[in-house]
Amino acid sequence: MGNILEIKNLSVSINGSGGRVQAVRDVSLSLHEGEVLALVGESGCGKSMLCKSIMHLLPKNAKIESGSIIAAGQDISHYSERDMRKLRGRLFSMIFQDPMTVLDPTMSVGAQIEEAVIHSNKKLNRVQRHNRVIELMELVGIDRAEERYRLYPYNFSGGMRQRSVMAMALAGNPRILLADEPTTALDVTIQAQIIDLLREIQIKLKTATILVSHDLGVVARAADRVAIMYAGKIVEIGTAEEIYYDPRHPYTWGLMRSLPAFSKGQDKLNTIPGMPPTLIDPPKGDAFACRNQYALGIDYEEMPPMFRISDTHFAATWLLDPRAPKIDRPIGGRLYG
Amino acid sequence: MIHKKNKFLYYGSKLLIFIASVFVLSLIVFYISRLTPGDPLLSYYGERVEKMSVEEKNIAREKLGLNEPIYVQYGKWLKNAAHGNFGISYKYKQDVLDVISQRIANTLILGGIGYILIFIGALALGIICAWNEDKWVDKFLCKLGTFSCCIPEFWYSLLLILIFCVSLHWLPSSGAYSIGKSGDITDRILHLILPMAVVLLNHPWYYGYMVRNKLLDEIRADYVLLGKSKGQSKAKIMFGHCLRNIMPSYISLMAISVPHVIGGTYIVETVFAYPGLGTLSYESAKYADYNMLMVLCIMTGIVVIFFNMIGQIINECIDPRIRSIESLEDLGVSNS
Amino acid sequence: MAEVLLQIENLSHSFKLTKKLKLKAVDNVSFCIHKGEIFGLVGESGSGKSTLARCVMNIYKTQSGKIIYKGVDCTDKAGFKENKKMLQKDRQLIFQDNASSLNQKMRVCDIITEPMRIHHIKPPRGSYRAEAAFQLKYVGMDESYLDKYPSELSGGQRQRVAIARAVSMEPGLLVADEPIASLDVSIQAQIINLFKHLRQEHGFSILFIAHDLSMVEYLCDRVGVMYKGSLVELAPTEELYSNPLHPYTKALMSAIPVPDPLLEKKRRRIDFDAADFSLGGELVEVIPEHFVLKEQ
Repeated sequence: MGNILEIKNLSVSINGSGGRVQAVRDVSLSLHEGEVLALVGESGCGKSMLCKSIMHLLPKNAKIESGSIIAAGQDISHYSERDMRKLRGRLFSMIFQDPMTVLDPTMSVGAQIEEAVIHSNKKLNRVQRHNRVIELMELVGIDRAEERYRLYPYNFSGGMRQRSVMAMALAGNPRILLADEPTTALDVTIQAQIIDLLREIQIKLKTATILVSHDLGVVARAADRVAIMYAGKIVEIGTAEEIYYDPRHPYTWGLMRSLPAFSKGQDKLNTIPGMPPTLIDPPKGDAFACRNQYALGIDYEEMPPMFRISDTHFAATWLLDPRAPKIDRPIGGRLYG
Repeated sequence: MIHKKNKFLYYGSKLLIFIASVFVLSLIVFYISRLTPGDPLLSYYGERVEKMSVEEKNIAREKLGLNEPIYVQYGKWLKNAAHGNFGISYKYKQDVLDVISQRIANTLILGGIGYILIFIGALALGIICAWNEDKWVDKFLCKLGTFSCCIPEFWYSLLLILIFCVSLHWLPSSGAYSIGKSGDITDRILHLILPMAVVLLNHPWYYGYMVRNKLLDEIRADYVLLGKSKGQSKAKIMFGHCLRNIMPSYISLMAISVPHVIGGTYIVETVFAYPGLGTLSYESAKYADYNMLMVLCIMTGIVVIFFNMIGQIINECIDPRIRSIESLEDLGVSNS
Repeated sequence: MAEVLLQIENLSHSFKLTKKLKLKAVDNVSFCIHKGEIFGLVGESGSGKSTLARCVMNIYKTQSGKIIYKGVDCTDKAGFKENKKMLQKDRQLIFQDNASSLNQKMRVCDIITEPMRIHHIKPPRGSYRAEAAFQLKYVGMDESYLDKYPSELSGGQRQRVAIARAVSMEPGLLVADEPIASLDVSIQAQIINLFKHLRQEHGFSILFIAHDLSMVEYLCDRVGVMYKGSLVELAPTEELYSNPLHPYTKALMSAIPVPDPLLEKKRRRIDFDAADFSLGGELVEVIPEHFVLKEQ
């Protein structure tokens, strides 16, 4: 499998009122053709910024400091807005967290999807465009599409809105789909439907997908590979099975163990003590060290490199160094038989 | 809230409020005009008043109906007005409506064209500023606007007259046309340039700034991000989405601002001795030309109240809450 | 069985949208909360959970039905007046949006002791400040936070302060309206542990409203499921999660993600069609203590 997207040593910073926040710190990542890669982490870990920097949709006060983004063979990290516009919608497109605010409230949903269709193929005539919109709406599971074409976003439920946003994202048959917390604002039942739809479409159209989420449960259903992010860095990356059944980074352990499913019958939920660090002045060494009960002396001194566990599985923790003391891992194996 | 059934009632009540406001306005203007210093006889008889004896003056007052108590005068005025008779102008000794009809075209040209240009200019200014947010164009225009807004119209007028008429002799300084050239369109346009320039230098900034801020609010909205990720250009998003979404509120704002613009036009007319309603109302107040003053005040008042109401109605029509409730009905949420 | 603390009988609440249109947010809901019990209320957004919480707190005027707290009928004006102080002190509410439920211009110390000052309660630990420090410690924060403003705290810490404020009145019933929805996963677990701890130490009863079903499963003793204003199912947690009976509950349960990729990818979801649901009906006890809404 080739890589459709490669991110090398990417750093993104945001100029805030309190100082320069290093939102993404030296992240390298590759996305294979036709796979779903999940980016998981707590709020402020830089997963959303990473996603937006790929499409050059960063807010005005944020900028790419260094590194390269190679999409479909071309380095787009220094592309101008004009060049990016040609790629957006065709090479990649994006689904956002809140389908409530992401749609223009005064324009009918059909017309908004049609805009995306026009951009993807300017040669279509009116009838063809209309048919394409209907086709897209049916693809994302909006039934009675002809009737709903003329409805406005406020006529739609949250799930329907997210489906419409997906229809727009898919209008140009993009090769990469970036889904930024697509289910966070939705109800549990709708959340499951949207994740299933995302997976279904991804298999049908073979779109490589980056799924950003804070919920390991949601990700389990859709992801082929999972990357865990903490404090602007990827701390562990591997196939879904490797991450869920054989996690190696203490943060992954903590994240996994704080899911109630791992505490059934226990008196207390497992927690990660403390809070994530602010990234205005990130700590020297491993950013997770001060919350890590397994932290070694060197964690406070030096940033751990990515240790290789298998061809697909890497983790950035000194515990994997051959010199590190052996510890009992608190988690591993399958949860249910 | 407008409901299909209540529409008639709704507009009916608006109309009633409108009539009541005009009535109250006429009452207030009538009383205040009588209380202000100034002798109406002076405008009617001119210089001759000084030579008149007290008795003669009394007879003259009697003739003009100025000796009766104010409420009787008002009653009579109201009765005549109801029949379409607004009395004669003391100064011009003509029917008030005749005098006004000669002048109204000039004001409509100055005010109307000015208003349209303000409307477009403010929009353009707002778009330019929002497009170049925080760049030097935006900063410069905003600063210039603040500066320009603060300068009073009469001062602006005098400044322009000083530059273009007194120093450069490029443009005429007063009137609507040169003597004997009332049919010459180029001459009229030349006379219009300076008053129009003052109106345009003074007004659009404020509205332009509102447009800018509204647009910036929209640009920060999430749907702009979606538009970008769809691959739409900045211009398409700006004009196709953002501008579209602020238009209703801009239109209602402009409806409310009609009186503001009228007020500005009146001042400009007076300074440039432009023969419109502004000059006329200034003269009628100066010479205590009661009947003229009444009609002009009420006319202006009607325009003000009318456009305020239009603004209100537009606002209520575009209130999204009404639409969302209708949509709930569509979705069958109702179970009462 | 422990004594009944809160009894809700046939509670309904609707909002007027227009002169003709009414939205029934809570529709004929009855249940009770026992002393020392954590009662979970789940359902999708707009199902009336928050409205119910506000009715229970008498924030909304009750339109129909009865709310009986410790034997006092809160819907009865005279009864309410007589016991106003007890009712206000003994029931405390914790909101979802902790950023706006704490006054941004007040220090943590003043926020925590404000209810005491309102009710003219003499602080049992000497000064108000000492009392605030004690409560803060109780929810797991140290004294150094006393003089901070809410904006200087993280989401989890703000929620702890809100809890400390509620707990300082030593209430009998805590109503927590989505207290963890806006928090990060690892912080959520901390807050859930705190709730559990509070119940163990103090024996508070808690009405816990959430949409995160796995947290509810972990924390609550009994769970009620709400759908479109009605309570469709009510059972002890284990019973409800292992044997959901109402089709909506079934769909809800099957939507809970399992953190096991091989299992999760194979698992089939159960869908629930809103068209299958008709309003009205009554809760019927199918299995002892397991109630399901049945159409009449």
